[in-house]
Amino acid sequence: MKYYLIFVVLIIFLITGCAHNPVTSSGALPAKKYFPQPVLLASASEPNAAQSATDAVNPVDEEYKDDETFDDYADSIVVEEKVEIADPLEPFNRAMHQFNDKMYFWALKPVARGYKFIVPEPARVSVKNFFSNLAFPARFLSCLLQADLSGATTEVGRFTINTVWGIGGLLDPSSGKELDLQKQDTDLGQTLGVWGVGQGFYIVWPVFGPSSPRDSVTIVGDYFLYPVSYISPWYAGVGVRVFEEVNATSLRIGDYEALKEAAIDPYIAFRDAYAQYRFKKIKARKAKINPSVLTEEKAPSIHPALPQKGN
Amino acid sequence: MLKRFFTVYFLVIALAALFIFTIKPEAMATGLFGPLQTVSKEAGGLNTAIGYFYHEDTYKNSADHPMRLNEIYSQAAYGVKNIGGIYARVGLADMKIFDVFGSSDASIKTDRENFEANWEFFGTLGAKAFYPINSIWGIGAFVQGTYYLSDFVDTVSGTDGGTPFISELKIKNFWNANFGVGIQAALPLGIKVYAGPYVYYSEAEVSLHSCVSGSEYMVEDDTLRNKAIVGGFTGLDIPLAKGFRLNVEGQFADRFSAGAAVIYTY
Repeated sequence: MKYYLIFVVLIIFLITGCAHNPVTSSGALPAKKYFPQPVLLASASEPNAAQSATDAVNPVDEEYKDDETFDDYADSIVVEEKVEIADPLEPFNRAMHQFNDKMYFWALKPVARGYKFIVPEPARVSVKNFFSNLAFPARFLSCLLQADLSGATTEVGRFTINTVWGIGGLLDPSSGKELDLQKQDTDLGQTLGVWGVGQGFYIVWPVFGPSSPRDSVTIVGDYFLYPVSYISPWYAGVGVRVFEEVNATSLRIGDYEALKEAAIDPYIAFRDAYAQYRFKKIKARKAKINPSVLTEEKAPSIHPALPQKGN
Repeated sequence: MLKRFFTVYFLVIALAALFIFTIKPEAMATGLFGPLQTVSKEAGGLNTAIGYFYHEDTYKNSADHPMRLNEIYSQAAYGVKNIGGIYARVGLADMKIFDVFGSSDASIKTDRENFEANWEFFGTLGAKAFYPINSIWGIGAFVQGTYYLSDFVDTVSGTDGGTPFISELKIKNFWNANFGVGIQAALPLGIKVYAGPYVYYSEAEVSLHSCVSGSEYMVEDDTLRNKAIVGGFTGLDIPLAKGFRLNVEGQFADRFSAGAAVIYTY
């Protein structure tokens, strides 16, 4: 019984952060939006080939580009910043990176390709919308904890409108030009970052992908805030999670491959891109709450013992 | 034993006659028809709505039994503005039929008189066509059908000559179909008013399951149909803001029914 419970907890833990966390949603596959710049220290002002290739691969992202709230601040974010993260667990992380890579190419991608072949894109986008709508509680709470009342209000409005007039969240009328209520792309890890908690060191979780001790809190927190977690029996919930992940992957097949091919050492590229991405996300959240932060924020230190606030 | 059987059997038949044959409907539920011209974009597009409809009717046989339904629903529709559209609804409805369990026989006493069933699912499919005569006037037609996916069930207990009984009345396979034509006029501020006649048909199966003195008896289903009835409808379609519209509508057949929906146009 004890081992059974441990196994159940492990499975739920592994699957939990696989999909609903906008950062770790890729699971084994580091999502494209995870890595706005696959090359370490790339400048925001200089588009790189890998990113262009990625954009060309997945036209769906064009539809969702407005979801990225930090885009509103992207132009003002300091360019040429160097963001690094300590990596004391590199041997373990490399092994997990390899594990996730194989899991993507051997399991997730083939299933997602078959699913993509069968299900038309509008239906897959609707499924994505549905699960995104379900993840409202985590975004709402994160906004509240960041003292972002306008963001929390926006989330409530989005959830209400998309649920009522979006056929239970399958459609996303809130993001339309007329309503213009964009998704608050935030999580509990960002909340901790906004309040000054450093990211610590780099860790690659099996299935979840790149993370840090701070961002790993998101996995646990989001588990309790995601309605799918409460589906009974437990394996039904796991099935829903797997379906959600397959659907999400089907909408971005090719992104991971493009990023991987563009990097000399994919592990290093993903690690540094992850750190840079999270830094920018948190900085954007801070800027939204307090615009003066744009001129004050500095890139974090590589030293894990003395993490910079908010990285 | 035989005497008890016949006594109870007679009681079951009497209860069945009381409950089933007094609720034959003259009219059944319909639903909001909406504006004759789809609110979708000119080139075609989606619109969704959430709506509420209060429906009243009268069931007639030996006595009149007013009936009412509350319906809440979500609707998705696709249409082309000057051609027509199709729509589907999923919703919940409750049902109340007044004086069904009451009896003029003083020996039969029940704990209450009204049939009341909680919220049950229903689905509606519809299509409408529209032809604009000019920039103000237009004519249209629609067809709409509703099926109630769940049964409406209520239980009543009482005594007949001192013999206790419990009866479960079930209304199942409840559906209706509507067809209407109408005329629509465009008013200032984007408001549209529409009106016209409609005909409808409905059908339901009613069964009674009784338990008398510890023994259970099932009365066979009876199919209830209404004769086609003509009604009239009129409504307003009012643009709100940011793509939302308000639709209010009234219908009159045996009794007055009304509803409203808030529509979002993509």
